[in-house]
Amino acid sequence: VTNLLAFLLSFLQNYGYLALWGIVLVAAIGLPIPITLVLLAAGAFAALGDFNIALLFIISLSALICGDNVGYLIGRIWGSKALNWLEHSKRWNRLIPPRTIARSRSYFRRRGGWAIFLSRFLFTALGGVINILSGAELYPYHYFLLFDIPGEVLGASIPLLLGYIFGASWEAIGDVLGYSSFLILCLLVVILLAIRLIRNARSLKRGHDASVHKPVGEQSNPAGTSAIAAAETSTGSTGQLPLL
Amino acid sequence: MQTVQAIQRFQMARTLASTGDVSTIRPWMTIPDISHLYHVPENYLYESLNITNPQPAHRTSLRSLAVRYNRSLNGIISNIQTAIKTYRKQHPPHHLFASRHINQSSVLEKKKT
Repeated sequence: VTNLLAFLLSFLQNYGYLALWGIVLVAAIGLPIPITLVLLAAGAFAALGDFNIALLFIISLSALICGDNVGYLIGRIWGSKALNWLEHSKRWNRLIPPRTIARSRSYFRRRGGWAIFLSRFLFTALGGVINILSGAELYPYHYFLLFDIPGEVLGASIPLLLGYIFGASWEAIGDVLGYSSFLILCLLVVILLAIRLIRNARSLKRGHDASVHKPVGEQSNPAGTSAIAAAETSTGSTGQLPLL
Repeated sequence: MQTVQAIQRFQMARTLASTGDVSTIRPWMTIPDISHLYHVPENYLYESLNITNPQPAHRTSLRSLAVRYNRSLNGIISNIQTAIKTYRKQHPPHHLFASRHINQSSVLEKKKT
């Protein structure tokens, strides 16, 4: 990463705005490039008088949105075909059942907007994957733009402004951003898992109570089985790990 | 834990940068950047590196300078650090000392009264 970053920074210093546009576009499409660090550095260069901060913001924002659209288009054209193939392939059906794909699709339609928005500025490493996934899941394009543009405004302005404010200390602030982003991601995963666990436990309890209060003649199924079935129907769970 | 350590490193970097400590010189910096940050003339820095025609090297980082002039990066950074220290010895910041002296003397006068 250090060598790649050194190369990108030297490219940026030598070729200016055009280089920044190219680097940001490629990163937004999904190539593993430390884009937050590049933007922090660009902001710091602006503070040192090499660039204009407003122009940097416009260039970065346009490149980010263009890259996201390219990623979405790739997902829409090839990703959706791949998902359809997976859904109908007999070989892969055992590993990824069609029901799981359908569930992930409906889940993404409901919650995908937040994933798109947050991955623009908080979990930037996931941005490229989310773009392709949005296209592959046939997420409506106008909704994609609705969450993408405000997210990218934050995604471009936060590192550029931090770099501009803290100048030569941009590497240290990059470390802080990296670790805190990872920490927030971990916390979010833990919170989501906890919510899911609590919901499942409540549903199981409700199902168990319902089976206990049933008349004796109706208790043909073992209590545990009916409780699990009730929990599954109420939460939409298949008993597998939750799909985040 | 690592987040806390990163915040501490950041605070330390800020403190060092604000005091103009030469250990904060980084390979990505260009000579004009260093000149701006450490208040040392560009030509003086180029001279310390024995670069006679600085125009092509204007927006070149120290890392690229090391490659271009076939020198070690650490050597270049060390040369610049020494040059800045020498420049500061030769040109002490009078205005800073003067203002400090005025502040100290006014505080002493207030104590006397």
